[in-house]
Amino acid sequence: MADTALDITGLSHSYGDLHVLEDISLRVGKGEFVSIVGPSGSGKSTLFHLIGGLLTPATGTIGIDGAHANGRRGLIGYMPQAPALLPWRTIEDNVVLAREIGGAPKRGTRPQARDWLAKVGLDGFARSYPHELSGGMQQRVAFLRALLAGRDLICLDEPFSALDAMLRAEMHRWLLDIWEQDRRSILFVTHNIEEALLLSDTVYVFTRRPATVLERVEVPFERPRRAEVVDDPTFVRLRRRLTDLLTASPR
Amino acid sequence: MIRKVAPVIAVLAILAGWQAYTAISGIDSWLLPSPTDVLAAAADQRDSLITHTLATTKLTLLGFTAGVVIGLLVAVVLHLVPLLRAALYPLLVTSQNIPTIAIAPLLVVWLGFGLAPKIVVIVLVCFFPVAVATLDGLGRSDALIADYLLMSGANRRQLFTKLQWPAALPAMFSGLKIAATYSVFGAIISEWLGSDVGIGRYMIIQKSAFRADRMFVAIAIVVLLALAVFGLVLLVEKLTVKGRRSRG
Repeated sequence: MADTALDITGLSHSYGDLHVLEDISLRVGKGEFVSIVGPSGSGKSTLFHLIGGLLTPATGTIGIDGAHANGRRGLIGYMPQAPALLPWRTIEDNVVLAREIGGAPKRGTRPQARDWLAKVGLDGFARSYPHELSGGMQQRVAFLRALLAGRDLICLDEPFSALDAMLRAEMHRWLLDIWEQDRRSILFVTHNIEEALLLSDTVYVFTRRPATVLERVEVPFERPRRAEVVDDPTFVRLRRRLTDLLTASPR
Repeated sequence: MIRKVAPVIAVLAILAGWQAYTAISGIDSWLLPSPTDVLAAAADQRDSLITHTLATTKLTLLGFTAGVVIGLLVAVVLHLVPLLRAALYPLLVTSQNIPTIAIAPLLVVWLGFGLAPKIVVIVLVCFFPVAVATLDGLGRSDALIADYLLMSGANRRQLFTKLQWPAALPAMFSGLKIAATYSVFGAIISEWLGSDVGIGRYMIIQKSAFRADRMFVAIAIVVLLALAVFGLVLLVEKLTVKGRRSRG
């Protein structure tokens, strides 16, 4: 299964009587960009907590890089909803944090962090503190931190939901640029259909709680993806269909 | 700028008013000495004051250090063992209702007249603000960052050293600042109990001699000492706390 980064089969989870996830199966291939769209409160964060090993699933299996990963932590690069940077660390020391947890000393990983900061236009900020950066810049730093965790699979939990439309479009461009240079396997959660279609190879549509996979959609546009693809008739049709699916989703 | 000099002007105004009042009312100087009387007394008693001040400074710093170390240990242990925290935290708070002045003589009975009971008095007044503030700070670290660290594979020790401890520093320093002023006050009380040297001892002697001018000198020294310890904490805080904290 060397071509599969993440393989989830029959995953269910509840908190007491509250069923959050119901028989979820999904797959992220190596170098594939997969999105999950679903209404708010459809258990997407729970899914990430399961993949990240914060929770152990009641039933079902999670495989990461072909290995059984139920309840195992430290196997993914993760970008949470808010940047969640450590305010007392400089930007470069924030970027190396995940590697540091894995046991790599800061001294060894800082040069790589600085290289990446330069690549994304943040080279002047390596020694700054998070509060000196704008929200969009902090998100970039949080993404670099996930990228430099050194894991193939990167999970992003609604990373751009707090940004305004202009900044969000800019961040899409930025993310695609980086990803096209350094092809990782990405699982991206959002409630924005257009965002999911624009970025992904495959989109999973989730229902309301308890969440199940309503539909799996393959996005047919070529890479590198152009920003104008949103005006393509196929794109418009897909967006219509996903919107209908989400609004018609039972309960 | 004007904000910085404002307190200095206020102090000078109070001193000037005090001086004017003693001159105009003709009040006896043994009852209320004027600021210049106090200054004269300080100059007159210089040598003995230096000895007493040094003794109190040493006692304060020893007691403060011991109190801070114990306060931090209590905070960390209670934070790491929630059951212990649940059991002991109410006791800790209740214990603060016991007036120091009431248990201090008991400490002398138990521990004698040496350094030990004096240090214990200072520890008793210092450790509480440090322990409570630090414990509070340790429990308030950002849950989202904690989730991030755990998902990235952090163990409990890394969660503590990389997130909880640094996040608790601002709260800890608030506790340290309170403890800094308390420590001088604790040292003076412990010297009242029985001591042959120290500003507390000096105060007792001057009180029996009705030397109000020298009492005022002693009070001024206590205030300056407290400010100095406070300043020391402030300096250490400036050097260790980096970046801006969202809370705490």
